[in-house]
Amino acid sequence: MTGDVILRAEGLKKYYPIKTGVIRRTTGHVRAVDGVSFELLRGETLGVVGESGCGKSTLGRMLMRLEEPTEGTLNFDGADVYSLKGEDMRRLRRDIQIVFQDPYTSLNPRKTVGDIIGEPFEIHPDVVPKAGRRKRVQELLEQVGLSPEHINRYPHQFSGGQRQRIGIARGIALNPKVLICDEPVSALDVSVQAQVINLLEKLQNELNLSYVFIAHDLSVVRHISDRVAVMYLGKIAELGDDAQIYDHPTHPYTQALLSAVPVPDPETTRNRHQIVLQGDVPSPANPPSGCRFHTRCWRAQPICSTTEPQLVEHDDGHGTHRSACHFAEPFVPAS
Amino acid sequence: MTTTTTAPAHLHWEAKDGLLLEVEDLHVEFRTRDGIAKAINGVSFDLRQGETLAILGESGSGKSVTAQAIMGILDTPPGYVTGGKVKYCGTDLLQVPEKVRQTVRGAEISMIFQDALSSLNPVFPVGWQIAEMFRIHRKMNKSDALAQAVRLMQRVKIPAAKERVSAYPHQFSGGMRQRIMIAMAIALDPAVLIADEPTTALDVTVQAQIMGLLKELQEESNMGLILITHDLGVVADVADNIAVMYCGRMVETANVHEIYGHPCHPYTIGLLDSIPRLDMKGTVLRAIGGLPPNLLAVPPGCAFNPRCKFAKDQCRVGDAPPLIEAAPGRHSACYFAEELLSR
Repeated sequence: MTGDVILRAEGLKKYYPIKTGVIRRTTGHVRAVDGVSFELLRGETLGVVGESGCGKSTLGRMLMRLEEPTEGTLNFDGADVYSLKGEDMRRLRRDIQIVFQDPYTSLNPRKTVGDIIGEPFEIHPDVVPKAGRRKRVQELLEQVGLSPEHINRYPHQFSGGQRQRIGIARGIALNPKVLICDEPVSALDVSVQAQVINLLEKLQNELNLSYVFIAHDLSVVRHISDRVAVMYLGKIAELGDDAQIYDHPTHPYTQALLSAVPVPDPETTRNRHQIVLQGDVPSPANPPSGCRFHTRCWRAQPICSTTEPQLVEHDDGHGTHRSACHFAEPFVPAS
Repeated sequence: MTTTTTAPAHLHWEAKDGLLLEVEDLHVEFRTRDGIAKAINGVSFDLRQGETLAILGESGSGKSVTAQAIMGILDTPPGYVTGGKVKYCGTDLLQVPEKVRQTVRGAEISMIFQDALSSLNPVFPVGWQIAEMFRIHRKMNKSDALAQAVRLMQRVKIPAAKERVSAYPHQFSGGMRQRIMIAMAIALDPAVLIADEPTTALDVTVQAQIMGLLKELQEESNMGLILITHDLGVVADVADNIAVMYCGRMVETANVHEIYGHPCHPYTIGLLDSIPRLDMKGTVLRAIGGLPPNLLAVPPGCAFNPRCKFAKDQCRVGDAPPLIEAAPGRHSACYFAEELLSR
């Protein structure tokens, strides 16, 4: 199923200016995304995990070109996304769509479900002719597990999980190739969360979609992803397939993050070695020098505060995968 | 209000045999324009010193309302306690005058809320807000109260507490704000601490810090802790006993080790099956079908029956199944609990 590269990001950066004083002089920058490169293959799911403020949502918006980059290039199926203009850009938007986190604020409360899901066809009229639109919307509703009769209802008549299904239907309306899911299940209850994850997997198989799945919940990301990128303060700390990241991570941040994830099993969770990180994530306006994680890292050496580690291949005990740490090695609990 | 059976001077609450809180057959309803929503239908549980009880449930299951009813901070109207008892050290708090309740709130039973930013007052320094507990409940003067606030901030491990005592809530990170909330909650050494989703808004690494802190504080003072959450993972780590709520009822209660290994209510089984787990990568999640019912139109019989794969005709009529003992120390509100247990 997975094959060639569909989306290639190189050195993506997004700095937001901090303006102070009466004349709004720029006094600094928030480095939300600071040099991110990755490839997304056709039909695969790339999970992006990280804590709040690590830049994962900004990255998602940049992939949609909802944010113009400060630096870097994005290549979609051979086209340079950031240099496209006018009609070409509009055409390209069809192929990359997004599902937002909050199903309560991302749907217009004054529009019916039919209008919401049908709106993409107003902008891209050639996808479905006007006469067939209503039917297509009903098909979409059915595809995401809602009843076609719901077409005239308003968003408030649906529960959170159902609204997220509407958001997904809108996302796939134009037959995109890439779907960016920005925390699509984090606002949902546990029992409903599983339904939406299963739906996303079903749609991926049916439509051969590629997903960029952004989330803070590591268990959900592991479940759905083929490959995972762990972000910390605007950079990718570690990148690999799901077994590489979850079973033998080499970056200390990934190791700490994984050990902090609660496991719903008292026998496992009470006997494992937990790494509790001290302090909070530093401000992206003033990131630490060298390796950004060195202020909270237990493996930090003098070199970590001066030289920034590159995202390169490191031995993980079972092979190699990319990790941005000077001292990347598998974690051995000191027992 | 009935005539006072206990004098307001009754300030020495003492737990008999370590039993702090007994909630018996609590009922709460919300009277709304669209009808009466029965948020809690007969919830009973006990809490002992040093015990951690986790109340688990999805949104709308009544877990937060239970906490509010115990604290006596239910919004009335629309919420009304319509029956049951909340006994603290043997005295029914629902029967005592508001004056007495005020002395219980904060000093004996205290609460931490989910969203620390909106629970703190943005226009006062955090030290002032923590010190308020001492000024009002203990009638301390300003400088003594502030010194106590610094001591508490150190106790919840806020770095540079002395300097940060005059900082405002927005100057703290999410984790630090939650620590301030905890400092306020433990200020008067309560015997019972209710934590309503204390880590839901936090990142995993910070979540681990906060849960560790709560556990430590509990061990120091032998508090009874009620942990309200929707996250099955968080509670597996710290809870002693677990009560699962669905639609305003407790559907299963058990020791933490038993409930994860051998759940005996279909809802608990469904919940455990539907969460993606780090230590297991499956293909398809076995999701619970359907949605939680609207509280204004709860289905007859067992409220879970439309979503239950084990449901039979018996489950769809009459009253909800009672919480019965399925095995020693284990209770389940399912007619087939024993069968499920021997699966």
